[in-house]
Amino acid sequence: MQEIIQREVTIKATKEKVYDAITNPEKVVLWFPDTIEGEYVVGEQPVLGFGKDGRTQIYVVAAKPYDYFSYRWVPGSEHFIGDVTTVATTLVEFAIEEKDGVCKVTLTESGFAALAPELAEKAFGQNSGGWDFMLGRLGKYFGQE
Amino acid sequence: MEAQIFKALGDPLRLKIVKRLSHGSDYTITTLTKDLGISRQGARKQLQVLATAKVLRLKPVGREVNVILNPAALESCRRFIISLEQQWDTRLNALKDVVERG
Repeated sequence: MQEIIQREVTIKATKEKVYDAITNPEKVVLWFPDTIEGEYVVGEQPVLGFGKDGRTQIYVVAAKPYDYFSYRWVPGSEHFIGDVTTVATTLVEFAIEEKDGVCKVTLTESGFAALAPELAEKAFGQNSGGWDFMLGRLGKYFGQE
Repeated sequence: MEAQIFKALGDPLRLKIVKRLSHGSDYTITTLTKDLGISRQGARKQLQVLATAKVLRLKPVGREVNVILNPAALESCRRFIISLEQQWDTRLNALKDVVERG
C-alpha cells in the first residue's frame, strides 16, 4: 500500500535557479513560509513561520545541488516546536529534473503509514462494518493515487 | 481537528497505545496500557490526549474505564491528506511564479 503525496509542477527556468528558490532562505520565504529562523541547511532544525497560523520546526535531511532537497516535519501541524527527530514525522522531498530549459519539480511527502493509515492496516479483519468501510476508502485512495 | 489527530498520533507512546487498541476491541485502561512502562496516571494522561483528538473514547464502566477506537478519525485523516495536497499545489504554483518572474 502506497502512502505518499506526490505533486508536480513545471517551471520554465534552469535547475540552478529552481534549486536556489527551494534552498535559499531569502527565496523560500517568497513562496512558502513567511519567515525562517535558524540555519536552513542539512542537519539543522530551523523554524518556519506561517504568520498567524503558527510556527513549525523542521529537520533538514539532505541537499544535493541542483537536483534534490528534503526535510522532515510533523505534517499539517504548523505549531510543532521541539526536537523533530524524536516524534513521528513525514519526509518532504523536492526533486528537480531539467529538460530543454524546463524543469519538472516533483514534490513527495511520505511516511503517513507511520501515522493513521498503518492503524487502518493493522485493524484489517476486525469485525466492524465501520472499519471495513473506512479501510475500503483509504485503500482506494492510497492504492490509486 | 485533523492536525490534532496527527499531533496526537505523533508521539511514539501514544501511537503504540492506538496500534494496540486497533488489534482488538475489549480493552480497558488497565489491559491496554499493560507493560508500557508507565504509571496508571501517566497512561490516563496519554489516553486523554487521544480522547481530546477524538481518536478514541473513554467509557467508564463500574470501576474500570473501557477504551473504544473511533473509526471516523481515519476519515478525518484522509480528508486531511487531500487538503495537504491542495496546500502543496498552491505552494508549488507560488514557487513557479517566483522563479519565472525572477
